[in-house]
Amino acid sequence: MPVATQAAIKGLTPQQVEALGINLILNNTYHLNLRPGMKILKEAGGAHKFQGWRHNLLTVETFPSIHLRLVCLVTRSIDSLQDSGGFQLVSLSKFTKITEEGALFASPFDGEPTMLTPEESISIQHTIGADIIMQLDDVVSSLTVGPRVAEATQRTIRWLDRCIETHQKSGKADVQNLFAIVQGGLDPELRDQCLEEMIKRKDRVAGYAIGGLSGGEEKDVFWRIIKQCADKLPEDRPRYSMGIGFAEDLLVCVALGVDMADCVFPTRTARFGVALTLNGPINLRLSKHEADFRPIDESCPCPTCVSGTSRAMLHHIMTLETAAAHAVTQHNLVFQARVMGGARDAIINGTFPQYLKDFFANYFGDAGYPEWCVNALRSVGVDLLDGASQAKVVSGSGAKWERVE
Amino acid sequence: MASTFSFSIIPSEVAQFGPRLGSISLCRRDGSSIPEIKTPSFMAGCSRGVVPHLSRDHVKSTAAIRWANIPFESFLERLPPVPTLQPGPVPLHTFLGFQPDRHLLSLCAREPSDEREIPVNGKGFISTLCVRGVRKLTPSAWKSYALSCQPDIVVALSDNPLSQSNQSQKRVTKSLERSTAWLANLLGPVSSADHGYSDTSHPFNVLVNMVGGVEERARKAFAEALVETLYAKDQQQVHPLQRLDEGITGYVFEFIPLLRSIRARTVNNDRTNNTPPKIPPKSADGVSLDNEENQQLAALLKASLSPFPPTKVRVVYSCTSPHQILRLIRDIGIDVFDAPFVHRAADLGIALDFRFPVPSTFSPSSPRTREDGSRDLGHNLFNYAYATDSSRLASSFNAAAEPEKGENPICPCLACSPISPSSHLELSSAEDQEFVKSPPVIQPPYRRAYIHHLLHTHEMSSHSLLAMHNLSVIDAFFDGIRQVLGGPDGDGQFIKEVERFCATYDEQLEVFREAEVDWSRVELERGKGRLAREKEKQTQNDTTSTVPS
Ligand SMILES: [Zn+2]
Ligand SMILES: [Zn+2]
Repeated sequence: MPVATQAAIKGLTPQQVEALGINLILNNTYHLNLRPGMKILKEAGGAHKFQGWRHNLLTVETFPSIHLRLVCLVTRSIDSLQDSGGFQLVSLSKFTKITEEGALFASPFDGEPTMLTPEESISIQHTIGADIIMQLDDVVSSLTVGPRVAEATQRTIRWLDRCIETHQKSGKADVQNLFAIVQGGLDPELRDQCLEEMIKRKDRVAGYAIGGLSGGEEKDVFWRIIKQCADKLPEDRPRYSMGIGFAEDLLVCVALGVDMADCVFPTRTARFGVALTLNGPINLRLSKHEADFRPIDESCPCPTCVSGTSRAMLHHIMTLETAAAHAVTQHNLVFQARVMGGARDAIINGTFPQYLKDFFANYFGDAGYPEWCVNALRSVGVDLLDGASQAKVVSGSGAKWERVE
Repeated sequence: MASTFSFSIIPSEVAQFGPRLGSISLCRRDGSSIPEIKTPSFMAGCSRGVVPHLSRDHVKSTAAIRWANIPFESFLERLPPVPTLQPGPVPLHTFLGFQPDRHLLSLCAREPSDEREIPVNGKGFISTLCVRGVRKLTPSAWKSYALSCQPDIVVALSDNPLSQSNQSQKRVTKSLERSTAWLANLLGPVSSADHGYSDTSHPFNVLVNMVGGVEERARKAFAEALVETLYAKDQQQVHPLQRLDEGITGYVFEFIPLLRSIRARTVNNDRTNNTPPKIPPKSADGVSLDNEENQQLAALLKASLSPFPPTKVRVVYSCTSPHQILRLIRDIGIDVFDAPFVHRAADLGIALDFRFPVPSTFSPSSPRTREDGSRDLGHNLFNYAYATDSSRLASSFNAAAEPEKGENPICPCLACSPISPSSHLELSSAEDQEFVKSPPVIQPPYRRAYIHHLLHTHEMSSHSLLAMHNLSVIDAFFDGIRQVLGGPDGDGQFIKEVERFCATYDEQLEVFREAEVDWSRVELERGKGRLAREKEKQTQNDTTSTVPS
């Protein structure tokens, strides 16, 4: 699902996003609370009306068996906001203080100390009118070690109880669905503890998010934690993996049993000139595209490719005209939706393993498969290297493309 | 190209100078054509070949964009320029994503509203600016680029120096000679072997830049040279034309250099008279903005146009305000304008909110009035006053979803009258069919508070929505002009309405100045100033070339 941190998909209007076949976007309660603020949202009649979005506020890329038609806004505490971009976050993490009461931070706008409690975060989301709401969690960077991780995990469980209580009392429990956020850092034992406690509360939560990842941890650790959570979480509750985003990450997570994910990568990279294709990302700022009259991807149904926008034209305007970011954003969102849509179809048709193999062969080709993907998919019985004996495997994150960032 | 551009004035008999209605049609050699463009009208400006802030689907859904003007200089960063390599029958349209059946494209060398200093033009070239620096452009290169790109209209190269000071007689003479020679070069026959033209007629619809600076005599001399019958070598060069004007589609005035020269002369005169430079006067009743500068401007334009019959299209680049547009229609009979202030407004976060004729009433959500009683042309949505303003963008236009009673027309832009898409991509067979098949529905307008929010959070869609809205407002403005002119006492009524417009709306553009201040403050807050980004613009290409591919 694309991320609309500020109640807008980067550069696109809600109608443009809808035309791409995307019917859910994600907002960030934290940001909407600061700006425009609850008063304005209330006056506007909720977040949907404020941003002119008539569908759902959170895309649910899901297994067909759990086809959610829900609306979600995500509240997250501070450190997991790295996907939101912008200066607010830098100043945020600096001034944040987590206490048992809630998250205290200096407003990046006026410097005033602002307290976000679990209770308040829930009532904000009630005001906004989201259909899926998230608990407030105490999240530490995934690189943090030591007793702070355990403390954050335990606190997240306590905060879940406070969120559940507020939510149940509000009378909105049957129209809005509360998701718990599984924490526990990179420590499998803490994750297990957290999972166990949160699964106990299954009857009072509508779904589970897997939080505290994608903060720079080793990919090999990342997928093992995802798998650990996905294996334990109840089958009849959707699992939402927070803040991941490369195409290969999405597919691996789906294979491990994740239903939903949010993702800023397609929109953020678009602004830097990186267009995603089935044959890997291409960097349109490179001069090799300057006289290339082909569209990004001839087979792509997005407005950019269908209207014949050439790589040469995009190269000419990239980073200098906002229209370039719009064009590549439209393409990248459709790319991501195609990858996930294809995954859904493959799952329905029972051809998901082959889908994965084809995708990885095209996407990573001769450059080599990321080793962690090979290992992760082996753990669920899909061998990417099966029938591809010449394929190269590279360690590390595996990202190899033309990046400028 | 070899397209037929025709311009007709309605009625066909009009005075040399004065308001006029007209109609433009265009039929290309391949049979494609555009719908009639009624004049007076405007053209959308482009930056690097795109209408600023608009994706192709937004250009498509903005009916106000009929004629787009493409400055070519950004493409000189790389030689040969990439659009000249574009294959297919309508290369410029194809490369830039305009629709041949909807859009007329004119090609000019330089960005007409660029006021930056630039090295002087030479004997056989003009200086142009691109992100990699200054590029020389010769008349023969220009001709070959135009042949390859096939715009519907090409503006001939001219030597129209952008100078702060008065030009010497000698410099003016040089400018006239060069401009005439470069025009003759463009109008000369094209070798059919090179470009596949079987006919010997020149393949361009040419607009010529009326040069001559601030000397009425010089301007007239340039114009007269265009209607003179040519002989001998001069005639051979443009054969089969007898006179240069025969090959000309219309006339262009570039206001940036012209206004600069007028101001330089005023300052100079004042200095000689030992009086301080004049501030443009504004009378107590705010009506008479027909100050000295405007009178000089009108006289200079008339000098340029006097040798010609009134039948050809007249274009002005870089008008500074709708007031100026109205006066030029009234006093001269200008047909087409670009309107850089419309695009500038979208850059700055201004939602335009004005109408011609002036609405009979104003509401509390109308733009604010200044001390002298004049009303702003729009809303500076950066201002915190709009943070909780749930009005639609313009008080003088209705939204399609909220057609109130009263005189307000509906603003068709996608900010005031958004409509859900008529089709949705279906990327999986498991797609929710109710969603995929959902029919287009007119949606409520975007509110000022939302655009304010988007501006303060640096969301680019704020500028897209404002760009579409502002283009629609200026389109309605011209529509209003044509309706008044087409009425029973057209000219008389028009003159009255122009007075009323000038008395109502602020011509000093205070709202733009305030928005500029707010804009730079937000940019500063952002921690990465505008200058830094400008610098990034300058170095962008170097970075690109050093990244291994
Ligand atoms: Zn595409
Ligand atoms: Zn509008």
